[in-house]
Amino acid sequence: MNIQDNYLKNKKNIFFSENKDIQSHREKLINIFENDRFDKKNNESLKNINLKNFIDFKYKYLIPEEKSVINNNEKNSYSIVSINGQCSSYKDDKIEITKILDEDYNDFSKNDIIENNDHFVNLNSLFLNSGFKIVIKKNNNIKIKISNIITDDDLTIFQKNNYICEEGSSLNLIEEYENRNNSTSNILNVIKLEKNSKLNHFLIQDNSPNHNLIITTHSSCKNDSTYTQKVYNFSEGYVRNFHYSELIEANSEADLQGIFFLKDNNTSNNKTFVKHLAEDCKSNQVYKGILNDRSKATYFSNTHVDQVAQRTEGYQLSKGVLLSDNASYFSKPELKIYADDVKCSHGSTIGPIDENAIFYLRSRGMSKIAATKILISSFINEELSSIDNEQMSEIINKKLVRYLSKVK
Amino acid sequence: MFLEIKDLSVKIENKNILKRLNLNINKGEVHAIMGPNGSGKSTLANVLAGKEDYEILNGRINFKDNDLFDLNIEERAQEGMFLAFQYPVEIPGVNITPFLHSAINSKRKRMNEEEIDNLSFAKLLKSKANDLGINIDMLKRSVNTGFSGGEKKRYEILQMSILNPDLAILDETDSGLDIDALKIVTDGVNKLKTNDNSFLIITHYQKLLNYIKPDYVHVMVNGSIVKSGGSEIAAEIEKDGFQKFQ
Repeated sequence: MNIQDNYLKNKKNIFFSENKDIQSHREKLINIFENDRFDKKNNESLKNINLKNFIDFKYKYLIPEEKSVINNNEKNSYSIVSINGQCSSYKDDKIEITKILDEDYNDFSKNDIIENNDHFVNLNSLFLNSGFKIVIKKNNNIKIKISNIITDDDLTIFQKNNYICEEGSSLNLIEEYENRNNSTSNILNVIKLEKNSKLNHFLIQDNSPNHNLIITTHSSCKNDSTYTQKVYNFSEGYVRNFHYSELIEANSEADLQGIFFLKDNNTSNNKTFVKHLAEDCKSNQVYKGILNDRSKATYFSNTHVDQVAQRTEGYQLSKGVLLSDNASYFSKPELKIYADDVKCSHGSTIGPIDENAIFYLRSRGMSKIAATKILISSFINEELSSIDNEQMSEIINKKLVRYLSKVK
Repeated sequence: MFLEIKDLSVKIENKNILKRLNLNINKGEVHAIMGPNGSGKSTLANVLAGKEDYEILNGRINFKDNDLFDLNIEERAQEGMFLAFQYPVEIPGVNITPFLHSAINSKRKRMNEEEIDNLSFAKLLKSKANDLGINIDMLKRSVNTGFSGGEKKRYEILQMSILNPDLAILDETDSGLDIDALKIVTDGVNKLKTNDNSFLIITHYQKLLNYIKPDYVHVMVNGSIVKSGGSEIAAEIEKDGFQKFQ
């Protein structure tokens, strides 16, 4: 079924389909797909995947029977169970959770960089069927843990979440994606950091082989705000992590880090894009991958420094360890600098485990497999030891042990 | 015989390095191998430790009644062989203390000995580090990472003294050491020497042998041992170089 028919057939289940502005935007998006107006060969978002599988899909969405759960057990700490992308409304003096509204759709639809290149975001906009908005109120320091649950097989979740950190607020956000059913989640997180706010965003991904997870984040940072993202991908199913960050006011920072652990025939596509649009901003993009068996990964990192963004600091690093001759990792760092007073760097290294290091460790009595495992752990040691959340650290270490137990 | 190398020929990437090399080492003996650059000294050390890049063309090696070629790299280490590397490998992210703890326990396990617990190991490590003038803070760092040349060599000797091998091969341990560091390192080696263990010391210069007295000195040229004798050979080399042996 083509995109237009699919959309028209399921329109009643899709958010904001009665809104004329949104409808006209969606018609534009349908045209992009229908007229095949995009360059498939050179489009980074399409590497290693068959777009047809994602365009020609059977739409299925179920409004969950159970209500999502929001707990506020500890002071300033909330745990949320989101079901099929939905979350109940909640309000207190520190946070407010609501459904997303028409206006929340519009605030993002004007982003040309994404719209012209990222077809998964366009699919999300077209078939949007779930999502929520969380506002952290001024000067509050909050922790939120969200478990994303999908209830049935064959569901196609198109979810959009908006996070707004008001002035002086701080949010520690942990998102867990651990689904065992045969479904596809296409999630768009739109994050706005107001002046002097901070968001530490952890994403733990550990889905079964038949669950596709496509996550796109767009963050925008105002004066003196900081967005930090740490992604840990242990999924056995396809995962796409694309993250766009805009530093729109001075002294703001974006730190985008990711580690993926792949095996079997799995694929993961990753991208970070940081746009420096103001003076004295900093960005850091670090992705590391461990690939076994016949797994494949891509990582594209882009730093764009606008001509007004003087005294920018922007760093990119990509590293990969290939545990098998059949695994492959394609990495492309890119810097576009239009200002003259900047410090920027990029680096990329991909290769097998250092045989000299293996020999050294074995020559002290360690078995080859133990030496391999210790070297894999050491490869990501810096990132793991920088996790300052004990609960997170424990979760990640357990998953790492499970991954390493399959390394032979 | 503790270590017996018989007619050993080895090549790497179509280049013959060792050519019918013979060497016997008994328990309690210290042997030194001297030779010019490219004579095959480090190849011999690597082949003994089990590095897999080399092709064995001919010969055999017996170590403590084992055919060495039947043992893989870690089994050789667990049987009591230790190679102090000429260029110790930097391994960022692998902390020295748990690494050494795991190394000693893998050896004890093979010998059917009880594993050493955390506390006892910490005490042992601290005392050995003190002996070698190694700052305790260094033990909190990653293996060889950011170490100076001298620190790396000292750390090799620390590992040796913890693992207490039956046969220690020191591959140019003196290179890159200043005189004070050389003294500390050689003191460490001398402390470890007993009638039950043996040393194979590879060096270019006599200087190291002033501190560790060898029972035998061998001259290695072009992949073979061309002359064997006592300390007088080292003095001869110091005076006249290797030219006359080539």
